[in-house]
Amino acid sequence: MRKILFDRIDEPGLNTLEVYERRGGYSALRKALTMSADDVAAQITESGVRGRGGAGFQMGKKVSFLPHGGMEKYLVCNADESEPGTFKDRELMQKSPHMLIEGVVIAAYAGGIDRAFIYIRGEYELQAEIIEAAIAEAQRAGYVGQRILDSEVSVSVVLHRGAGAYICGEETGLLDSLEGKRGNPRLKPPFPAIEGLYHGPTLINNVETLCTVPHIINMGGEEYAKIGTETSTGTKLVSISGDVQRPGNYEIELGIPSREIIYGLAGGPPEGRSVKFWFPGGSSAPVLTADDLDVPYDFDSMAKAGSMLGSGAIIVADERRSVLEVALKVAKFYAHESCGKCVPCREGTNWTHKMLQRIQSGEATPMDLDIMASVQEQIIGNCLCVLGDAMAMPIGSMVEKFRPELEAEIEAARERADAAALQDVVPLGVADEHAGPMPVH
Amino acid sequence: MPRPEQKPIQLTIDGREVKAFEGSMLVDAAKQGDVEIPYFCYEPKLGNPVGACRMCLVEIEGIPKLQTSCSTPVKDGMVVHTQTDRVRHAQNAIVEFLLVNHPLDCPVCDKGGECPLQDITFGWGLGRSRFIEPKRHFQKPLALSPLVAIDRERCILCYRCVRFSQEIAEDYQLIFAERGAETFVATHDGHPYVAPFSGNIIELCPVGALTSQPYRFRARPWDNESAGGVCTLCPAQCNVTFTVRDDRVVRVLARDYEGNQEVDDGWLCDKGRFAYQAMHADERIISPMVRDGGELRPVSWDRALDAAAGLARHRGRVGALVGGQASNEEGFILQRLMRETLASPDIDSRLAGAVPAPLARALAAPELQARVSDLEFAHTLLVLDCDPRDDMPIIDLRIRKGVRRNGVKLAVASARPTALDEGATVISRYAPGTLEQFLGELDSALVSERPASELPHGELAELLRDGGSDVVIVWSERIGDKAAATLLRIVDWLGLGDHPGAGLLQIPGGANGRGLREAGVVPDAGPGYATLANPGRGAAQIARAAADGELTALYLMQADPVRDLPDRALWESALHSAALVVAHASVLTEGLREHASVIFPAESHAEKEGTVVHPDGRLQRLRIAIAHPGEVKPGWAVLTELARRAGADFAIERSADAFEQVVAAVGVYEGLTLDELGGHGVRWPERPQSAPLRGAGSQLPPGAVAPPPRAVTAAPNGALALGTYRPIWAAPEVEISPSLQYLVPTQHLELSPADAERLGIENGDQVQAASNGTRLSAVARIRSGVPAGSAFLADGIAEDSANALTEPLIEVRRVGEMASAAADDEPGAA
Amino acid sequence: MSPQVPRFDHGSRVPGWDEAVDLTKDPAVVPDPATTPVPDDLREEIEAAMAKYPDRRSAAIPALHAAQAVHGWCSPEAIDQVACVMQLTPAYLSSVATFYDMLETFPREPHHDVYVCTNITCSMLGGDELLDALVGAAAGDRSIHVRSFECLGACDIAPMASVDGEYIGPLEQGDAETVVADLRADRPVMPAKQIRYRQSVDPGVQPGAEEFTAPDHPTRADTAGLTPEDLQTDRPGPSAPIETPPDQTRDDT
Repeated sequence: MRKILFDRIDEPGLNTLEVYERRGGYSALRKALTMSADDVAAQITESGVRGRGGAGFQMGKKVSFLPHGGMEKYLVCNADESEPGTFKDRELMQKSPHMLIEGVVIAAYAGGIDRAFIYIRGEYELQAEIIEAAIAEAQRAGYVGQRILDSEVSVSVVLHRGAGAYICGEETGLLDSLEGKRGNPRLKPPFPAIEGLYHGPTLINNVETLCTVPHIINMGGEEYAKIGTETSTGTKLVSISGDVQRPGNYEIELGIPSREIIYGLAGGPPEGRSVKFWFPGGSSAPVLTADDLDVPYDFDSMAKAGSMLGSGAIIVADERRSVLEVALKVAKFYAHESCGKCVPCREGTNWTHKMLQRIQSGEATPMDLDIMASVQEQIIGNCLCVLGDAMAMPIGSMVEKFRPELEAEIEAARERADAAALQDVVPLGVADEHAGPMPVH
Repeated sequence: MPRPEQKPIQLTIDGREVKAFEGSMLVDAAKQGDVEIPYFCYEPKLGNPVGACRMCLVEIEGIPKLQTSCSTPVKDGMVVHTQTDRVRHAQNAIVEFLLVNHPLDCPVCDKGGECPLQDITFGWGLGRSRFIEPKRHFQKPLALSPLVAIDRERCILCYRCVRFSQEIAEDYQLIFAERGAETFVATHDGHPYVAPFSGNIIELCPVGALTSQPYRFRARPWDNESAGGVCTLCPAQCNVTFTVRDDRVVRVLARDYEGNQEVDDGWLCDKGRFAYQAMHADERIISPMVRDGGELRPVSWDRALDAAAGLARHRGRVGALVGGQASNEEGFILQRLMRETLASPDIDSRLAGAVPAPLARALAAPELQARVSDLEFAHTLLVLDCDPRDDMPIIDLRIRKGVRRNGVKLAVASARPTALDEGATVISRYAPGTLEQFLGELDSALVSERPASELPHGELAELLRDGGSDVVIVWSERIGDKAAATLLRIVDWLGLGDHPGAGLLQIPGGANGRGLREAGVVPDAGPGYATLANPGRGAAQIARAAADGELTALYLMQADPVRDLPDRALWESALHSAALVVAHASVLTEGLREHASVIFPAESHAEKEGTVVHPDGRLQRLRIAIAHPGEVKPGWAVLTELARRAGADFAIERSADAFEQVVAAVGVYEGLTLDELGGHGVRWPERPQSAPLRGAGSQLPPGAVAPPPRAVTAAPNGALALGTYRPIWAAPEVEISPSLQYLVPTQHLELSPADAERLGIENGDQVQAASNGTRLSAVARIRSGVPAGSAFLADGIAEDSANALTEPLIEVRRVGEMASAAADDEPGAA
Repeated sequence: MSPQVPRFDHGSRVPGWDEAVDLTKDPAVVPDPATTPVPDDLREEIEAAMAKYPDRRSAAIPALHAAQAVHGWCSPEAIDQVACVMQLTPAYLSSVATFYDMLETFPREPHHDVYVCTNITCSMLGGDELLDALVGAAAGDRSIHVRSFECLGACDIAPMASVDGEYIGPLEQGDAETVVADLRADRPVMPAKQIRYRQSVDPGVQPGAEEFTAPDHPTRADTAGLTPEDLQTDRPGPSAPIETPPDQTRDDT
């Protein structure tokens, strides 16, 4: 399969400018600088490349939304990769940081921007060091900074490390965090392209999206658009993990059957086991089952199948896995990561988590599944940002698709709890020898 | 700068045609069409909407998702639905979510009966909850400060209080801590939330999470009556609502929901909000008193009035001081009493600084008067020799609003660092006592052709000159006559009178300083700045004359010069020498306690009837909210009766009669009626009748004052130039309000790190400041913003007030060094 | 009853859910540089961070990180120092510090951080048990802080942990002792399982195994001098053929 981003990604020293340049690195930047900014933007638009961070919004459109004029504009690279199951940007940044920097500079040029920030999640310390070193190298070589390659173009690039908050992957939460505040998402509109970082128009793109930019410039937008499907152009990195034999990142052409990724590339679940359910696009995506393995892996087909491509992270669970356990992890994660700003998300994620805990501890009835489904419905569409929906959609899908199993779990948990309670009953007359603590809830 | 234009448009809400201004938020526009959309977090006073509560979701045709109406600006032709099943489903959902962790302890909640959460749950909720998990539990209530109690269980995290602290008061002490469902309102490391405007968060809270410590459990909303009034504890004259129960003020709130845009913008300071307790404090004087055998004893009104009528025996030798809380009517009647009945023209109300009448009149020219809202829309704002947070607190918030929202360029020129320094574009600092030189240099820099960088204060001059036509200067009355003359020249030069958005806003020393001046309570002008045939002496000369025996009686109308005026020792001697000292007062401050012969109990601002004038020229009406406690009688009635006993009939039967006399005497008030003043007052500079005072500025002889030579600021022996300031909390009302005790100011000496190091003083050390043999104690406070060579002390406070010091330079020593240093001093001591 | 949210039990530090403010304290306003001593190194680091942004407040997170490195946690003193240099109120920084998981608002000495991922993939493959094992191995050692963490973005090496920022995995319960021992001995932690040496699993990316003989990423001082021999591993290490499916540690039951 064709490799664009992952082409010889393991080449030793690729993270250094020397090797990157030897392989033709920064030629796209040189080429872009010979073009007008509008032409560069046109190439990006023509490529049809959609955002690789989760929302799948056309990058060319984002660039075109930026107002023209002399105001201070910003480019922010979203490297806060924290959607569970996603780890593609980590590998890109660690192994080919200059590709990202080149993409950042070209995109900034296309948008008439001279200040760029790369917001990397705080946990990625190794990647942050590598990027920091690469920025310094690129700066010394004149690819970043004032008057790039003796042109009139200047782009500064600053690496900003986060400190551990999923919500900062949400673009406006990221902006607040980058401004030094709590990472609370903002109301939209105004969209960042109009009013973003420091109130200036801001172009925000994911690492992988920006990494495609040099390739789009090199091969031409039209050529790039030939890869993949009509509406999902190009290649995509897929992070696959969970119950598969070869977890990791794979670069695929959009539109290939999902089965080919899960079984063909990742080797499928371990010998003798089969796929029970899978998240096609990170933990925020509604789960799919073995019945959906033949759905083509692209933005539109996934949406049609009732889920989403998201960040391109597949988590596979085989038949050993309990839906309840996974649902509990999902709910706990979103309850923990909810920023607390808006009511339905703050209270809904917390409530859902508590309900699932109650199921696990044997204190629930099947009626609670109705309440849970209804609570998810009450969250969806009513929140300030997508975090609430990101929990409600997968939990809702699990309740819908695995209701009999969940009802059985409820039953089994109740029996376990009853048995445990009976064990604690102290027979009359032996109380003195058995002076254990009373069971407390 | 131009204010935003409002373009009327039409939209459809629930099938009704609604007219609104383009760009206004849908939730506000809906109110115009009598459609109520519920919300919690939205509060336009707090700035841009946050969209956190999600209560106001509505359906807008053409937009697939429900939208928050608090953040959706209306457009012409928009079609909105607020009653569809989808909207109702969302509203029910939000109410259910809100109540997930709310304790529903309404029966014991102070907010019950006036609680938006109660109302909205009733109106838009389903009336049931499916949440059976344990709720969040907290200890409650906890103290957030001595004034505010916090109940975190009830909190719905609507952001209002933290936004107030962060974006309005900009003190950034109140925050959200933690995240998600664990979020809670907090301060840093257990510090209390103590800031001059902290009480506003109580009023903002849409649930019972933040409650007023002094008001808690005093009343239920249905026990209360509300009465509109004006706070006269400082010149800001905020419009307030008194919550009255059983004829006692139990709470003070901002008057209207949105506030009076031209006065307070809907905010109050904590002094105005909580010092109402002084009205019902045991320490308040509520009966007339006469000194008898060396001690003040309560007596009948008759006896007190008779004793005071003894003033007639001091004809021609009476001096009078009028404090800022006096109304126009009281001031007017008193000046009649003084001038007409007692033949004593020595009357003054300018407690802070004396600007001669022609100059004051020129500076009060109607075209030069800035409105309060001009602070918000000026191109450039100069805060001159004052700190609004102390002197007129509520405009501090207004200035911040202008800087934050409208990009007003703020310049601060003061000796002492101000609370507004952080947002200032330019800060000019000069040594205390050198304001005149500073203004002289600024004046030269304005006209100079040389580049700004080469001139002293060139940057400030450039900003004022080239920063846009709308320049507003906020200045304090205490700057004195020479500085005021230079200021007037600068104002003329900048042409502030030619631009409607430009002008001056003077902060008088007393709350009604402007009104009293206009009512003729100044020695050199009659009512309406009328020229006097026989001008009298000002406050400083009154003190000297009384001490020297030229004046033998003093009339202190809500003023205690020992507390309020410079040169404490001189005033003590003046009061001591006077044979008769008649005072109106509500608190027995030290000067009165020692020296008053007769004290009439004074009214509080909730009891008084009359008018006052806001510093921007707005006549505001004081109304009676509660009956007079004890023996208190209206000031106008006491003065009129006193005049009668002294042999004059002023023909005043009601307060309104006095108002009519004021209107008749002050030309620019001509034709005003109390009804016209209404709730929001009338700004006389905007009335055509103000014409006679127009152009008064340019009538002043040009070049009246040349800048004097630069004064020596620091003596070679290391003495420090002394500047004084009056803290916001320096008020007798604060001293007797139980819940404000922790704010009663004590003396601190502010000095620079360099001087502290030189003098071996550490932060928090006990120090003594001395000049000319007078010493006072203070606690050292080292501040980086204080320039080396300067030191600052508070005045207007009960103990160790800076008005004891009369010299411009002080010696500062750490206590403990005194013993050894005193020995060294001996040979040189005079 | 839901578990009690852990809060401070050591006096009047950060106000928790159950604590009132201390009314004897002064309000926490912007600290005055004249009365707030700040270590020079810390001041310089914070000032350098502030210089990178158009708005100094953007440096809040880097500055708190720096202060945490000095003080071990975002203590009130640490926050006061940052607030003094940045000229912000301490509350502003408290608010930020309590929002982010990596900023410690619990009292700690300077310590090693071990984050154990317990999110979906890792927990399916044994992350929770790994957490217990690591907590057990480091029990009583105040210089090692083991905590459960949400997805760290390394599901390909699940179950995994981040040790002072170094990602290692897949880990078995038995590795817990090694991790702790390596930390105590101040040597690189399980170099063979560090993600910095992991190669792509995508079969299309490698032009030939012979080109990939040694790791060549920027190495920190603690891994300098590491030789391929040190990287004995049962996983596809830097010198191992790429095709080997990484399935040895899969069965966690």
